[in-house]
Amino acid sequence: MEIEFQRVGKKYESGQEALSQVSFHLQQGEMAFLTGHSGAGKSTLMKLMMMIERQTSGQILVDGVDLRTLSRRAIPHHRRRVGVVFQNHQLLLDRSVFHNVALPLLVSGADPQQIAKRVRAALDKVGLLDKEKYYPMALSGGEQQRVGIARAVVNKPQLLLADEPTGNLDPKLSAEIMNLFQEFNRVGVTVLVASHDLALVARMRHRVLTLNQGRMVNDGGFG
Amino acid sequence: MAQKPNQRGATRESIKATKHNWPTRTSFSPSKYFRQHQTTLTESFMRLVHYPLASVMTVMVIAIALSLPGGLYVLLKNVQSVTDQWEQQSVITLYLFPNLEDTQALALSHRLSAQADIASVEYISKEEGLRYFERSSGYEQIMSALPENPLPIVLRVIPRQTVDITTLSSLQALRNQLAAQKEVEYAELDAQWLQRLANILSFGQRFVYALSVLLVVAVLLIVGNTIRMAVESRRDEVLVMKLVGATDAYIRRPFLYMGFWFGVLGGFFASLCILVLSWWVSAPAERLIDLYQSGFQLQTFNADEIILCLTISAFIGVFGAWIAVNRHIATIELQ
Repeated sequence: MEIEFQRVGKKYESGQEALSQVSFHLQQGEMAFLTGHSGAGKSTLMKLMMMIERQTSGQILVDGVDLRTLSRRAIPHHRRRVGVVFQNHQLLLDRSVFHNVALPLLVSGADPQQIAKRVRAALDKVGLLDKEKYYPMALSGGEQQRVGIARAVVNKPQLLLADEPTGNLDPKLSAEIMNLFQEFNRVGVTVLVASHDLALVARMRHRVLTLNQGRMVNDGGFG
Repeated sequence: MAQKPNQRGATRESIKATKHNWPTRTSFSPSKYFRQHQTTLTESFMRLVHYPLASVMTVMVIAIALSLPGGLYVLLKNVQSVTDQWEQQSVITLYLFPNLEDTQALALSHRLSAQADIASVEYISKEEGLRYFERSSGYEQIMSALPENPLPIVLRVIPRQTVDITTLSSLQALRNQLAAQKEVEYAELDAQWLQRLANILSFGQRFVYALSVLLVVAVLLIVGNTIRMAVESRRDEVLVMKLVGATDAYIRRPFLYMGFWFGVLGGFFASLCILVLSWWVSAPAERLIDLYQSGFQLQTFNADEIILCLTISAFIGVFGAWIAVNRHIATIELQ
């Protein structure tokens, strides 16, 4: 999936300006990091791509299509093409690992055999194939995060967004998670990871976008 | 993707024209649709089973609220069927003077049957009257103890006009005309009693309707409130489903089915209540009916009415859920 931001701004009703004049272009199959202090607008940028919020100015093009032209009814179908991983993983605690990962497939009405196959494939990729019957609370933080990743990729999305996926993990687990993203990128998925862990980002040697108070201050380099 | 002439078209196109092969809105298949509904139907039932106490309480409240108008309806139906039978028998009964000869009575009977506003006249001789009286009242011993038959000759005059509010006055005029005959000692028109009954009945009908409307609204509120709490308790789930691309319809569906189950189960238990209640009152009621007339069958909820009750209650359940869900799901948004 190809993403293009053209002078995108987001101003909340409270008057707070979360993003202003943000422009960048993410090629199909590219992997990039989004860094910046907390409050710099990383999450807002992610939410605009998920259509959780709408920009107040500028254009966001996804595969050449202006997101503003999508109706409310089209939003779910847009989201099915995007996988998201959040810091607070947002797993359903009363559902098994299997069910959590299966959710995007259930929602889009895939058939049951297909679901089982895809879920196991996704769990296999994140190394949790033996934990499908567990409930999230029985897993460690790193494992929970990997369940979240499995859920994000089970639908074979074309874009993978991760908002602080390593936020509360130790460096070793963080590196493992980042390697997972890299693997998905290698098979053609466009990946954008928001992180404030600059050291880790620098080690990954990918394009780095840096936000500061809602403005894009750096695009390129390795941080 | 350079196509721009038709923005909307381009938008839809771009959603379809991608390499992925998972279903989107454009790939509707009936089997998928029914599978989803079937799954949701069972899942929402299992959810009710998962919280047995709360579910049973809600279902019973609905059942009780529905069984009240249902029970009154059955009562009304029985009263109506009783009055229907009485209406057919609505007659002017002429009690002739006891000393009247049979020939004089027969002559009167013929004269009256020739009258334009009279459909027929039934002649009941003293002996027939006695037999009828013995049979229906259980006074055989007393009657046989009497030295002679005390009953007069009776003519049952069936007027052409049926009894209702508009014909009552003309029937009363007919009764007066018949009472004025020299052979007649006393003429009785049972229409007045029927008239009162009809009034009471239409009052009862309105009362049942009003009560039904109130209780249906109550059930709507009960279901609505229960579903509202269910949505609230699954807030996180709704958010996650929205995040992974669930349509509003998909999110709404389990709650609508929940309302459906509440309605159907409530209707089922309401029907059961009515059946048990009418079975319970049937024995004394039939004894009571036997005292007045034979041939009347106590009526209860029949199969059609049970199906109607279930359909209505299911509809109320879904409708209540629909209102609650629509009002509530919109307030749960990702942020």
